Amino acid sequence: MKQTNENMNKRESLIKDLTANIIDSAKDIVKETESQEVTKDIHIEVTNRLNYETNSLLNEVVTKLSPSIVDINIKEQPEGRKFERFGKNFRSQHMLMFVSVIILIITGMPLKFPEFGISKFVIISMLGGLENSTLIHRIGAVGLIIVGVWHLIYIIFSRVGRRDFFLMIPNLQDAKDAIQTIQYYIGKRAKGPKFGRFSFIEKFDYWAVYWGMIIMIGSGAIMWYKELFPKYAYDIGREMHSDEGLLATLAIVVWHFYNVHFNPEVFPMSWIWWHGQLTESEMKHHHPLEYDEIMKKESEEIINKSKSEGEN
Amino acid sequence: MNGKHLKQTLILSGLIFILFFCETGWTLEKCQICHSKKDIHRTEETGRKIPLFVDESILGKSVHSERECTDCHADIVEIPHKKPKKVNCKRCHYEGNPVGAPEGQLYDQFEHSVHGMAVMSGNDKAPVCQDCHGNHDVIIHTDSTSKMYWQNIPKTCGSCHIEIYATYKESVHGVAVANGVKDSPVCSGCHGEHNIRSPKEDDSRVSQMRISQTCSECHGEKGVVSKYGIKTDRSATFEHSFHGVAQQMGNRTVANCASCHGYHDVRKEDDPKSSINPANIKETCGSADCHPTATAEFASGQIHINPKSEESGILYYISKFFLILTVSTLIGLFIFILMDLFRRAKTARQKRHGK
Repeated sequence: MKQTNENMNKRESLIKDLTANIIDSAKDIVKETESQEVTKDIHIEVTNRLNYETNSLLNEVVTKLSPSIVDINIKEQPEGRKFERFGKNFRSQHMLMFVSVIILIITGMPLKFPEFGISKFVIISMLGGLENSTLIHRIGAVGLIIVGVWHLIYIIFSRVGRRDFFLMIPNLQDAKDAIQTIQYYIGKRAKGPKFGRFSFIEKFDYWAVYWGMIIMIGSGAIMWYKELFPKYAYDIGREMHSDEGLLATLAIVVWHFYNVHFNPEVFPMSWIWWHGQLTESEMKHHHPLEYDEIMKKESEEIINKSKSEGEN
Repeated sequence: MNGKHLKQTLILSGLIFILFFCETGWTLEKCQICHSKKDIHRTEETGRKIPLFVDESILGKSVHSERECTDCHADIVEIPHKKPKKVNCKRCHYEGNPVGAPEGQLYDQFEHSVHGMAVMSGNDKAPVCQDCHGNHDVIIHTDSTSKMYWQNIPKTCGSCHIEIYATYKESVHGVAVANGVKDSPVCSGCHGEHNIRSPKEDDSRVSQMRISQTCSECHGEKGVVSKYGIKTDRSATFEHSFHGVAQQMGNRTVANCASCHGYHDVRKEDDPKSSINPANIKETCGSADCHPTATAEFASGQIHINPKSEESGILYYISKFFLILTVSTLIGLFIFILMDLFRRAKTARQKRHGK
């Protein structure tokens, strides 16, 4: 009896929150269009957006107020709902990848800059000489090759992997999103674009890894089996390995680290690589379209279920 | 003048005579009574005859022409004398000596050199000063008859290192020296002089770890070879190659200059006997300790390749491509990050002001 009361209270507060959300969204849209002259185009756009927002909020209301889900949320996830963004398989791939890459950078970069004292320190004092460091580098290389093959198998044979791969393919919307993001940055738009499961930034990161893997593994293999190749192939391989190695390292340290470590929102580090989960607010903020889709799917399921129950 | 005075005078003049005798030692004239005879010799137990003739004209050209015989042969105090000991140059050539003999760190250097160590360990064939500098013929090194004249050094060293001398004479350096090219190295150009170390020692100028540095003194950017139309980027390109990098990381098995080019027998690329002649290079790279499975393709093409030089062809364009790609990507990413930070700061400010 007591539990039912508690649930009733939670439900009431949820309704209040969601009503407030609906009003806020409507206000935002009105505010955005206030300064503009109301033309037919803008009228259509505002109508479309209001439709969309109302629909997605209705979906959210249905999902959240459905008794089964409210119970689960309250009992097991007191801090709010968590969404699994990356599964165990994908997280394991990422872990093997970053361990390999760190090993490769530590043992590889000193050979690009041998004149620096720290390079000699790393190779000679830390790793005990070039024989050890080249062996460790090859171990890292094997790790990276395994990740490459593993991921290819994952995107071909795993259902989630296949879905994500298709979602990763860049499209026209990404170009529009990029332009809108820049407009948002320079103050020409009040809000940035809404992203789905993968933003154009994440897509850039993902495909940059393909480029890096092809160059690094290809040129590395030539150097590993140099005696099988002509001298010029070795020279080209070495130059590409060295240059792409630096580019990849800088891209990781500057771009990837900014996004996952150093930007004010997640500083000093986002733990998603470990638990793979996003909170509801993170989900709404970073992947609103994906969130809407999940809500839509869940609400449809609930409605269908209750309909069929009613029929029975 | 009484008897007492006479006695004192005699003793005094006797003392003066003795002092005078001691100061001047044996004069050249006295020694030359015997040593000017051309056939004067000593017979060793083995029956070998050692000539003891001293040519006065050579002695006159020597830097020691002002010295007396006994300044060096100090153990000779009577005539006839026994076989004198080996002359010790350090008698005069020490730091702060009163006769003004040149001195310096040379003795210390010599004592730690491969020759000095051999002398110390009792090897009586090991060279001391006079074996290289000459004994009665220590002539100033700028004189072409000196054993230390630059063009004569290979021969001087070669009097012991006979086979090496024969090899060196035919090498590109040896031929150039014979033709009067003063920039071409003689033995000491690479090995050093008083501080010659065994190549097995790391601080030897010709050791595995230092040889590339030694070669670069001439073949490097600031070297002298450009005068002769030889490329000066050989050392820099080596340092950037895997062999060079590995060597800087303390690896002892990678190739250095001498591994490919040889050392006493360095020859021009177009010399059929050269180890880097296109006909021989596969064998050079494919030596058992290096790349035994090397193919002809593996060993062909430019070796000292510099990706930053347009001569390197495709490598130059690849290097340029990656430079442009890296710089433009990073500029783009940095601009994006800065804009993001700027926008975040602006939003935070707006929130604070309750907008």
